[in-house]
Amino acid sequence: MNLWKLEWLRLTRTKRIIGLVGVYVFFGFLGPLSARYMEQILEHFGGGVQIVVPEPIAADGITAYVSNAAQIGLLVSVGIAAGALAFDAKPQMGIFLRTRVDHVREILTPRVVVMTAAVVGAFVLGSIAALYESIVLMGSLPIGGWALGTLLGSLYLAFVVAVVAAVSARANSVLVAVMVTVGVLLALPILGIAPDIAEWLPSHLVGAIDGLVRDGSFGDYIRSIVVTVALTAASLWLAVRWSEQREL
Amino acid sequence: MIETKGLSKDYGDTLALDSVDLNVEQGSVYGLVGPNGAGKTTLLGVLAGLRKATSGSMSIATSSIGVLPDTPLFDQWLTAREVVDLALFLSAGVQDDTRVAEMLEQAGIADAADRAVGGFSRGMLQRLGLASSLVAGPDLVLLDEPCSALDPLGRREVLDLIARLRGDATVVFSSHILADVQEVCDTVGILRQGELIFEGPLQNLLVGKAQPRYLVRVRPPIDDLVARLQPTDWIEEVVAVDPELIRITGASLELMEAKLVPALAAAGAHVVSLAPEAPSLEDVFLEVVS
Repeated sequence: MNLWKLEWLRLTRTKRIIGLVGVYVFFGFLGPLSARYMEQILEHFGGGVQIVVPEPIAADGITAYVSNAAQIGLLVSVGIAAGALAFDAKPQMGIFLRTRVDHVREILTPRVVVMTAAVVGAFVLGSIAALYESIVLMGSLPIGGWALGTLLGSLYLAFVVAVVAAVSARANSVLVAVMVTVGVLLALPILGIAPDIAEWLPSHLVGAIDGLVRDGSFGDYIRSIVVTVALTAASLWLAVRWSEQREL
Repeated sequence: MIETKGLSKDYGDTLALDSVDLNVEQGSVYGLVGPNGAGKTTLLGVLAGLRKATSGSMSIATSSIGVLPDTPLFDQWLTAREVVDLALFLSAGVQDDTRVAEMLEQAGIADAADRAVGGFSRGMLQRLGLASSLVAGPDLVLLDEPCSALDPLGRREVLDLIARLRGDATVVFSSHILADVQEVCDTVGILRQGELIFEGPLQNLLVGKAQPRYLVRVRPPIDDLVARLQPTDWIEEVVAVDPELIRITGASLELMEAKLVPALAAAGAHVVSLAPEAPSLEDVFLEVVS
């Protein structure tokens, strides 16, 4: 048993991996379906009101997936990551680990890597599901744009896990870690209301897959990529630093 | 093994440790006692490197430490075997199924080795914590209230386990159960409000506080006997503890040893047994911290 296997067992034995993958894949299939049949859905619940909806295109399926993944998927991801990264929230558990390693990095590294891989993996599976169903229901999509967009969305999720790690190093409970992280992540789109700032923020990457299957280009996201990479590194540095300083 | 000089720790306005000079000999079993809030857990936390001292210095000559918190917790979905296996791997970088099984056996939880720890009682968690702390054979073991959740049988087993560590490892353990400390520790430190008010061999503490008192068990009735043994130049007090037991307090142990038996014979006592009353650590502790 080592700390890498421990994290894998945390995901599999607690069924968290099923919840995580399930949410993203569910919205991966549901998004394109709802986009394709939006008109019929609105007609059914519209009480006789005539609603005119533009003819759906395959990119709408990706848009629907991204909007759900960015909300419910993100919440689930933050919760599951915090469950692993807030290891000092119960000091007795922190004592077990901390008194057996030379450096807190040894505890943090497998947790950050495995949680990032799990969250990104779930997002990618959901994205594949959305791509497949969008193509089947609504026609072709630019695969290159989809792949690049999925990559940039994954970068954003890696940033999210790094933020969870930093916040968890200070939080007294998993719930506090989740709430503070969600607060930080919600603050980014609010900052992004200012158009000059939006393209610099990590949250700009959330919609990259949607933008890149339409008429967006990689250049639209370069500033955001640079900032996201820098903030991810800074968050990880803070996570280590704050964990080192923490007393149990 | 462990030497601290003027070790202090404060939490804002609260002084948890006040200039503690601790000396723990290598291979000894050191009992740390004190009332609630005396600073025992804080001191163990500082020694384990889990808390930083506000001031003072500390020297610990060890290559490996085993730490048992007062209420150990583990990921609930791990089995006991996996917990001990993980502890061994993290501490020593090795995997040794035989050693893990042996440790689970010694801690008395071999039967539950493959059960998820989520269903363990507090006593079983304490045994598992002890197994995890000792599996890598650390040369310094810090135990915070290791017997607090154990039943009498478990307490007996854990005390025996701690006693067997003497010589091989240095053990510092805090406890509210003073009889446990008296039984397994050779050195005692008494903390009160963050201050180390006594440190030394247990025997020094007990002998130093010993009163020249004898307990004499006699055949009843004892009222007349108590009257006949009234205070003299060397007897200070005679008290009937129960219908067959008398406690006699004298001026000194030497005088009591020389004069008590003839005095009892002269008073016509039918003596069943007679022994000096040894003070317990609890008696001494209450006297010292009061």
